[in-house]
Formats: sequence, structure tokens, C-alpha cells
Amino acid sequence: MPDPIHQFEIHKLIPLNLFGVDVSFTNSSLFMLVAVLLSAGLLIYAMRGGSLVPTRLQSTAEIGYEFIANMVRDSAGEQAMKFFPLIFTLFAFIFTCNMLGMIPGAFTVTSHIIVTAALALLVFATVLIVGFAKNGLHFLKLFVPEGVPIVILPLVVLIEVISFFSRPVSHSVRLFANMLAGHITLKVFGGFVVMLLGAGGFAALSPLPLLMAIALTALEVLVAFLQAYVFTMLTCMYLNDALHPGH
Amino acid sequence: MSDPEKDRNPGRGELTPEERAAFQRRVDGLGARLDRAKAAHDTGPQGGDALRGRGMAYGFRMSSELVAAILVGGLIGYGLDRWLGSTPWLFLVFFVLGFAAGVLNLLRAYRQMQGEIAARTGGNLGKSVPDDDD
Repeated sequence: MPDPIHQFEIHKLIPLNLFGVDVSFTNSSLFMLVAVLLSAGLLIYAMRGGSLVPTRLQSTAEIGYEFIANMVRDSAGEQAMKFFPLIFTLFAFIFTCNMLGMIPGAFTVTSHIIVTAALALLVFATVLIVGFAKNGLHFLKLFVPEGVPIVILPLVVLIEVISFFSRPVSHSVRLFANMLAGHITLKVFGGFVVMLLGAGGFAALSPLPLLMAIALTALEVLVAFLQAYVFTMLTCMYLNDALHPGH
Repeated sequence: MSDPEKDRNPGRGELTPEERAAFQRRVDGLGARLDRAKAAHDTGPQGGDALRGRGMAYGFRMSSELVAAILVGGLIGYGLDRWLGSTPWLFLVFFVLGFAAGVLNLLRAYRQMQGEIAARTGGNLGKSVPDDDD
């Protein structure tokens, strides 16, 4: 049986060593670079004309803009539009990485927790910095809900603090686990097809896992979009907390 | 404009019965096509894979919210224990606090999803079925 984990292995393409730190250019770096170039290039190419009557590609880019802009306005308010570039970049990057991962043989960057954790920590740090810069110490009100009796307040504050620090964990684990689990399942079902084909009379059964793999591929494409959406959506909600604490 | 023959005609700008019938047919055909398109649009994103994918995303969100909070609570307790040498008491306390934080996360996530669904369906969360009060 083909190893379902093999697809997540990282290979060094160009070994690099900077001051004792291994900064080799790996297949992961390559696909990140491809995702950045592809998403940025497509959007710039789509908007090159900027015509009033949009072409098909320009229309798609505009729909993407509207989609994220509405999400930001709805869940974090008009003030949050300052962070639109960050949020749109996050969405475009994650979505492109997820979709690139759907190409057979491609490497899925977002199936490595180090990548999703870095993205989640970026959001977490942004929320902390924006929260303290905008509200000063009032930002700490986030941990003190109103109308709680003073006796159990320390307990509630502790729980709120733990809840706050669990955000980057769930934020990163969700994206990583979804992509990892989906790709392993796909590989396992693909492996079943090959194994059944090589098992004499049982080869007659091989279309069954193949059908499953096809259905799973459709589902995975959807998951790739939905997880990018959920990641962006939660980013907006966390930013909302930073902009308006005490709500 | 300058055609005297047409200007004298009181029915100018009106259609002959045949033209009117043809026009009516076209309007009806368009209406039927619109209805069909609307029906296809209404059921399209709701059914099958889309619904299953969304459900999975919601389910996964819920479970990860709970697990993450317990994990963070446990880790904080474990770290404090190592630092203060009070093994295992702080770990136990923070594990339980982590569980409480997880449930809090769940409730918040649930409320947010509910709001999202209510916003999408215009506050109508289910099909309205006539009952005894009607």
C-alpha cells in the first residue's frame, strides 16, 4: 500500500544555511511562492484594464473583493476596512494554497501545522497590538464580562483568559487538520483502488473506492474553500474584539 | 414622423392581434424560464455536497474550539506546576478551567453561527408549519 503520509514530506530543493540556521528552499517554500505569485498575478492581470464593463476575469476578481469586503464590514464593522488588505491577503493565500493542494502530485502547504500556526499567530499578534494601541488598558475589559458578581469574577477572568489563548490554537489546528485529514483520506481510497486491481478477482470491486475518491475530491474542493472562508471569518471576528472590546 | 399615412392611423404604436399574441407567448415563456432558473438557484447551493461540507465545517469548528481550550488550559497548568513545583494540583485546576473555557467557546461559536444563519435566511430558521395556534 502506498504510504498516505508520503505526500506531506518536505524535501530540500536548494540547501541554504544562514548563520547556522537551516533556511533551505524546500518544496513547501516553492508552493508558497507559487501560491503568492499565482494569487497576486491573477488579480493584477484580471484588473489590468479596470474597465467599466468588466471582462469575465475582472468580474471574478471583483466578486472576490466584494465577498471579503462584505464579510469584513458585517463581522467587524466599517473601521475594520483598514485591515482589509491583510484579511484579503490571508484569504487569497490560504485559498490558493488549498486549491493548489488539490492538484494531484502537488504539495499542500496548509497541511503543515507550522504554516497554519504562523498564520494564526500573525492574526493573534495583530489583534493584541491593535487592541492595546486602540484601547490601551481598556482592551483588558475583554476578559471582564459585565454583570458578574465580584466573588466569582477571578474565576471568570481566568476562564476568559484561557478562552482567549485557545484562539490561535483552534484557529490553526482547524485549517491544518482539515487539509491533512482530507488528503490522507483521498490517498487511502486511491490506494485501495490500486490494491484491489492487483488482487486478482477482487479487481471487480475496484470501481467502488474509485467512486468514493471522486466524491471525496468534490467534497475536498468545497472544504478547501470553506476552510479558507472560516479562517478569514474568524480573523474578522477576532479583529472585531480588538476594535470594540466589551461587546 | 413625417409619414402622413401612419400619422392618420389611430392605432399607431399598437400591435396587431397576431403580434400581441406572439408577444404574450414570449412573456409567458420568459416567466416560465425565470421560474425554472429561480427554482434551480434555490435548491442548488442548499442540497448535497454543499450542505454536507458546511455541516462538516461547523462540526469541525465546534470540536476544535472545545479541544483547543482544554489543551491550552492543561498546558498552562502543566507549565505553572513545573515552575512552582506543585505537581499535579495546578494542572488539575487549569484542566477543569480549560474545559469551562471550551464550553464558553462553544456557546459563543454557536451564537455566532445562529446569527449567521438567521442573517442568511432573514430570521426564518425553519419552515413554517401551521399548528393549533393558527
